Amino acid sequence: MRRVAVIGVGTTKFGKHERTSAELFASAAADALLDADLPASRIQALYYGNVVGGETEKQLHTSPQAASVLGLPAVPTTRFETACASSHSAFRHAVMEVASGTSDVVMVGGAERVLNVPTADSTEYFAYASDAMWEQTLGLTFPGVFALVARAHMHKHGTTEAQMAAVAVKNHKHGVLNPKAQFQKEITLETVLNSPRVADPLKLYDCCPFTDGGAALVLASEEVARRSRRPIWVLASAAASDWMLIGDKRDLSRVPATERAAAAAYRQAGKRPEDVDVVELHDCFTIAEIVATEGLGLFEPGTGGLAAEKGWTSLGGKVPVNPSGGLKAKGHPIGATGAAQICEIVTQLRAEAGPRQVDGARTGLTHTLGGNTATVLVSLFGRE
Amino acid sequence: MSEPSITQHAFFEQARDGRLIGIKCGGCGALAIPPRELCPDCGRREWSPVPLSGDGEIASFTVIRIAPRGHAGDAPYAIAAVRLTEGVSLLGRVVDIPFDDLAVGRKVRFRPLRILDRTAIAFGPV
Repeated sequence: MRRVAVIGVGTTKFGKHERTSAELFASAAADALLDADLPASRIQALYYGNVVGGETEKQLHTSPQAASVLGLPAVPTTRFETACASSHSAFRHAVMEVASGTSDVVMVGGAERVLNVPTADSTEYFAYASDAMWEQTLGLTFPGVFALVARAHMHKHGTTEAQMAAVAVKNHKHGVLNPKAQFQKEITLETVLNSPRVADPLKLYDCCPFTDGGAALVLASEEVARRSRRPIWVLASAAASDWMLIGDKRDLSRVPATERAAAAAYRQAGKRPEDVDVVELHDCFTIAEIVATEGLGLFEPGTGGLAAEKGWTSLGGKVPVNPSGGLKAKGHPIGATGAAQICEIVTQLRAEAGPRQVDGARTGLTHTLGGNTATVLVSLFGRE
Repeated sequence: MSEPSITQHAFFEQARDGRLIGIKCGGCGALAIPPRELCPDCGRREWSPVPLSGDGEIASFTVIRIAPRGHAGDAPYAIAAVRLTEGVSLLGRVVDIPFDDLAVGRKVRFRPLRILDRTAIAFGPV
């Protein structure tokens, strides 16, 4: 298999937009091409993530649409849908296309538009990522899934609501340093703890927002990447799944798919958790970050809450997590999130992240989780 | 052996009448909630239906306060993951137990519930 590098990245500002998801993707993709210093004609395929386009925009067939709006109508395109992990799934398959020698330059991206519909509707559409007959029937929501994880983690490890709130405070603090973040405002522990309850024990500020946005990156073979300015190498890209039904998950305080995908990624890259300098992980809810830091092997099981409370995951801490602000503050346009996390890690490894730069970062990790914890992707990146 | 031993539809028809049905693997004895084609433990395709007691205890729970559009009229409502005495788990609504009395380890018993004109799993006090 050939080595693969990311040679260009681009994201829109995250927040509310009056543009379609195809426009949001195309804008990010044009930025990524400019960053890669390549003409669009070099792109040989598009791997695309979009989740609820069928619901919020009444739009299927979104990958050729996205390519057309970009101005690249002829290349093969495929849309991936693994709930919130969609564009990270797209990325993994695109890496395989380049590594296999099928193509030399491939575009990966994703976009989502949800703020054009009321919250009750987006809450319902996101719940479609849970089983229709067994879970949607009950009125289970996406926050509800992670509330069950939170309660189990609290019961097993003594994790507190204040420790969860510390994740939100930290990611908002990081978000202030990211001009593309949806929220660029610091919050206090009290703000989180006193915010309205969404799905006990999760409160409004434990939850990431609904977000419109797009992200894109350009992947290249080693031969092409060698001629680019700042290639960042893909050291590993791994995926894993878990049972779809909450009832079939044996221990709700853990996300086995994270543990499996991380083990595979570390093995592929020949790296260990202690080699990782900077992490962008899936903090759709504060508890999700705590459980992910444990599942990725960054902290012992049961100590993820303590790590957040002690500042070990803050910029300047032992292992900075979500310097971009994470899904919590940067925002979570679900189809774009996996690609956007990779854009941040590439920016960090190029040492171009400005005030939120993790000094001397050489190895970075991205972790993206789909829906009810049934899908997880983990990728590792490195400088030359 | 191409017909499943119990379909999802049949499970909910039984559940509507108050009976919980699991499936047991003829190869290794593993127990599961239908529908499932292959045994994840031994790979065989030899399920047969077995009745479940419906008794269990709460493994985790939440109270949903912001609900999807279709369920907004019901909110707030409790949902729990319940581990049945036989070892398999099910997610269900919790009814007739005050929110403040919900706890991990609390014993509950299955009962059917109609939600939006469909049969759903629920649990109430023992």
